[in-house]
This record gives sequence, structure tokens and C-alpha cells, in this order.
Amino acid sequence: MQSTQEIFEQLRSVLQELFEIEPGKVTLDAHLYNDLEIDSIDTIDLILRLKELTGRKIQPDQFRNVRTVGDAVAAIRELVNTPAAA
Amino acid sequence: MNEPAPPQDASRFNRAWRVFATGFSFACFGLGAVLMGFTLWPLLRLTAPDRRRGIARVQRAVSRSMAVFVWLMKSLGLLTYEVRGRDKLLVPGQFIVANHPTLIDVVFLVSLVPEVDCIVKQALWRHPFLRWPVVWAGYISNATGEGLVAACAAALGAGRSLVVFPEGTRTRPAEPLNLQRGAAQIALAARRELRPVTITCEPITLFKGNPWWRVPPRRPHWVIAVGEPLGLDGYLNEAPPLAARHLTQALTQWFDVSIAQQLGEMRPQTRPGG
Repeated sequence: MQSTQEIFEQLRSVLQELFEIEPGKVTLDAHLYNDLEIDSIDTIDLILRLKELTGRKIQPDQFRNVRTVGDAVAAIRELVNTPAAA
Repeated sequence: MNEPAPPQDASRFNRAWRVFATGFSFACFGLGAVLMGFTLWPLLRLTAPDRRRGIARVQRAVSRSMAVFVWLMKSLGLLTYEVRGRDKLLVPGQFIVANHPTLIDVVFLVSLVPEVDCIVKQALWRHPFLRWPVVWAGYISNATGEGLVAACAAALGAGRSLVVFPEGTRTRPAEPLNLQRGAAQIALAARRELRPVTITCEPITLFKGNPWWRVPPRRPHWVIAVGEPLGLDGYLNEAPPLAARHLTQALTQWFDVSIAQQLGEMRPQTRPGG
């Protein structure tokens, strides 16, 4: 089981690696589009990377309601802490 | 020392005339759009052998209408303009990216390129006058998300030219350029170099927040300069999200330099010393 803090830190470094976003800007409240300038095309690349990291299949709708970093962390936590389908 | 005198502001009569003539021109534009939108443009589409050729015919007709509109404004003494390097725009499959200081930038650009697709904001499909050319000329809505990049790349791949304003809206005066990444994403997806066009207007008018009746102190002059292409070397080897960011930064710098140069030509220089 991964803690929220661990997931948050991993996400922060992914955002830096993929999009060159300064880690200082990545807070739980940060809005992905308005604050971090992550657009819909970036989101596809982000989901791909998260698939690689979590080893889980991610449906784009699972991320449809994600607006802030906090939402993303919650969505990822639900994914990794659910047992993989048999 | 003899320095060039700064340009004089126009007389009150001239300004009053330009207010009237601007209103008149805009009314002609709206009326023309509605008239054509109910007659010539649908006719061109409906009599064409297929959708693509119908759109091409309407785009040509729209381009000519825009040229007439520019001629009207110039003839009424509303503006002067110069175009540099127009021929470069006439090669098929040009991915034209331009800065966006004024309301009528797209009018100039479309008048210069007979067949060209434009990305247009979704709201215009509800605009009482602009919806007509937008619909009949088959322009592309900006609301389609990731599909937009693919659609534009396909258009360029098919040899069609495309006009995009990377800023997504008119430049805010006295604010630094803020380019969205869409243009870079399209260029990378289509593997097509960017053809930058620098538009300047001095004195600036029809900028964001500037009502049409607030005419500038003297007749404005537009310069529309077609630049050398920005190639994609190096960017194609990067991961797409980073490539789009770096290419957008490069494009922003390119425009910063070309806009400053173009404005510098038109403003009187102050020479140091004697």
C-alpha cells in the first residue's frame, strides 16, 4: 500500500520529468490546467507514464474528473490500492 | 541635428471621418457576410462535386471578399498596409502562425492566401455575422481537444494550408507574448515546419478592449511580414510534451525579436548626443 505522501512525491517528480514543471509549484491545491499548464494532450502522456509506473491499466475516464494535483493523487491511490483484476 | 519630426496627430475632422468610416466598413462586413452566407457560399458548396472542392471554392471566395474589405478600408483612408514575402504563403501546405495584435489580423491573412483553413474559437459558430463564413468555409473549431491536433496534422499532410494564432486570442497590450502550445503540437504531429508571420500595427488599434469607435490619433499602418520557416530539427528527437514546450519557447522568442524589429522601424528613433 502506498501512502498519499509517497504518491504525491512521485507524481511531483513525474511532472518535473515529463513537463519540466518546477517542483515548488506542485502543491495539492495546484490546478493542473490553470496553474501548471497541463493540457489535454499532456494528460494523455501523463496517463501513459502512470500506467508504466503503476503497472495498472488506466482508463482515461478515471481521470476525467481530476482537476487538481490532490484529485490526481487520490485517483492514483485508489488505483494502486485496489487489487489488480485476476 | 536634423531628426525626423514625430508623426503628427490627425485633425479632428480626420478622426471623425475615420470613426464614421470604420462603422460603415464594419456594417458592410456584417451585411456582406450575411448576403454571401445566404447566396454565393451555399451555392458554391451545393454545386461542387464533393465536400473538399466545395470548401476550396468557398475559401477562395472568402479570400477575395477579405481582399475587397481591405481595399475598402484603405480607400476610405482608414489604414495603410504593406505585405512582405507574400509569395512564400502561396506554396501549398503552409503552416502559418502569426501573432495577433488586432481584430482584423485574420482578414489580412485570409486575403493573402486563397485557400486556407483556420482554427476558429467555438463561440463564433453562434456569432450572428461571423458564423456564415466560418461554416461555409469549413473552418476548424478549437473545441475538439486532442482530435484537433490530429485533424490539423491531417489537413497539412493533405497539402492544405493552415492559419493559427498561437496566442489563442489578441495580444494584451504591454504584456509579454503568451503562446499556447497547440501550434507546436500540430507542427510536431504533422512534422511540418512553422511559417511565422509577424503582424504589427502602428499606432495600435482594434486591440483587445479597444472599441471600434475609439480610432487612433492618426491613420494606422499595418506591416505583415512573412518570415523564414522555423524548422523542427532537434525537437523531433525530444519527448513530445517537452518538444512542444521547447518549440513554443523558441517561437515566442522568435516573435519577440521580429515584433521589436518591425515596430522599431516605424517609430522615430531618438539618437543619443548630437
